[in-house]
Amino acid sequence: MSDLISVQNVSFRYQEEQPYVLNNVSLTVQKGEWLAIVGHNGSGKSTLARHLNGLLQPEKGDVLVEGYNSRDEESIWEVRRRVGIVFQNPDNQFVGTSVRDDVAFGLENNGVPRDEMIERITESIKRVKMEEYMDQEPHRLSGGQKQRVAIAGIVALRPSIVILDEATSMLDPAGRKEVLETMRELKEEEGMTVISITHDLEEAAKADRMIVMNKGEVIDEGLPKDIFQKGDMLEEIGLDLPFPLQMHRALKERGFPLDSLTLSQEELVDEIWTLQSKI
Amino acid sequence: MMQNIIIGQYVPGKSYVHNLDPRAKLLTTFLFVIIVFLANNWISYALLGAFTLSAIGVSRIPIRFIYNGLKPILLIIILTFLLHVFLTKEGPLLFSLGFIEVYQGGVEQGVFISMRLLFLIMITSLLTLTTTPIDITVGLETLLGPFKRFGLPVHEFALMMSIALRFIPTLLEETEKIMKAQAARGAQFSTGPIKERLKSIVPLLVPLFVSAFKRAEDLAMAMEARGYRGGEGRTSIRLLKWDAKDSLLFVLLLLLTTALILLRS
Repeated sequence: MSDLISVQNVSFRYQEEQPYVLNNVSLTVQKGEWLAIVGHNGSGKSTLARHLNGLLQPEKGDVLVEGYNSRDEESIWEVRRRVGIVFQNPDNQFVGTSVRDDVAFGLENNGVPRDEMIERITESIKRVKMEEYMDQEPHRLSGGQKQRVAIAGIVALRPSIVILDEATSMLDPAGRKEVLETMRELKEEEGMTVISITHDLEEAAKADRMIVMNKGEVIDEGLPKDIFQKGDMLEEIGLDLPFPLQMHRALKERGFPLDSLTLSQEELVDEIWTLQSKI
Repeated sequence: MMQNIIIGQYVPGKSYVHNLDPRAKLLTTFLFVIIVFLANNWISYALLGAFTLSAIGVSRIPIRFIYNGLKPILLIIILTFLLHVFLTKEGPLLFSLGFIEVYQGGVEQGVFISMRLLFLIMITSLLTLTTTPIDITVGLETLLGPFKRFGLPVHEFALMMSIALRFIPTLLEETEKIMKAQAARGAQFSTGPIKERLKSIVPLLVPLFVSAFKRAEDLAMAMEARGYRGGEGRTSIRLLKWDAKDSLLFVLLLLLTTALILLRS
């Protein structure tokens, strides 16, 4: 495991004389992990995401991506090529007039020769299973499909890290599943590092590691299992606990001796049906 | 409704005219606009007419689309025709009704000028009818490429066009949504006197503009995140192919031009 991104004591505010949106944030991202960054609206998690690929530059501190500092004019394009972001609104990040054109956009920006471009486009559209829609226009696609095209556009650039910045929050449950499954496959098969910025704790529960942010600061970090032990803390900063966990807590309050933490529905069901046999 | 929207006037097809390189079509249209002014007698106008009509014939575009393109300027054509008929006093007098006198030269001039306008509009609408807006944009970008040296923002212009084209359906969809939302709150868009109707557009336009600005901001962010840094060092996925059929068009055009020059009187 090596540090892919390291954020060192970063502070940032949009305007002077305004409170800091990020306050002395430090963290690292390991190669090949799925990292969830959770927090309520205004916790600074999206601002942090924009620092990770150089869209914003820290006021204090440094952001290093594979050794490239996002402050340097020269290395900023290297940083952006390595870190792709899928944004929240599927419509507002679709640049091309068709799926093919949109995936090509990033490649065109980086001056990839046309022959190679075609190869990479076909390959990455296949990765997200959109090959049937190659020549479709964006307004004929569903939200989930548009987000998958956005992922293809990033994958085509062969980045090391993909950031999902609330990428599923505007999608219906089916679209959300589509997008997360696509990312999961990419991670398993290509060893892609994924940073998922979300306020959906159910999504975060499936991550390898979690970072909790509140008011511009990192307040906790660890395995989802451990973080969810502190349910009160999460609720305090305005996050909704996943349903199985809420159920678990409610049952426990009423005196049922459940012990291990249940993050998924299956775990909860297992816990409940084995409850009696233990006694 | 939104599913079938066609941007611009493009009529899909696979004819010779459709398959031409957009650059060839743009240049031809441009040159045609110039050589139309070479014609000054009946034979040369007949020749131009033959070229225009056969171009329309080959494109297999239904006549009604051409007619739709002509409709808005039909009045102007008729008006110029009448002006020439009544005001040009050349050649032998054909007939006179009191103070109105019609000369042969006037009729001839009237017919020539209206044919000239007619052909111009027909050929230019044929361009937009057989070429997708995005192809026209790409064609213009390549054709104007050399002017980049003189500081003409060719790439920016082309990108702007293509983004505008891409967002037309999105914004239409949004307009429809806002209309429904406002209608649900009792707004009326289609009744009442003009003044009232104009006023009722305000609650439609304001949210539409707000969201368009938001979209623009998001899009700029997304573009930058994907490494956009202007036109320099950029490659393009869209490849224009100039082949024999495009050269053929130019041979035809050259023949037409020579014929027009020879036929001038």
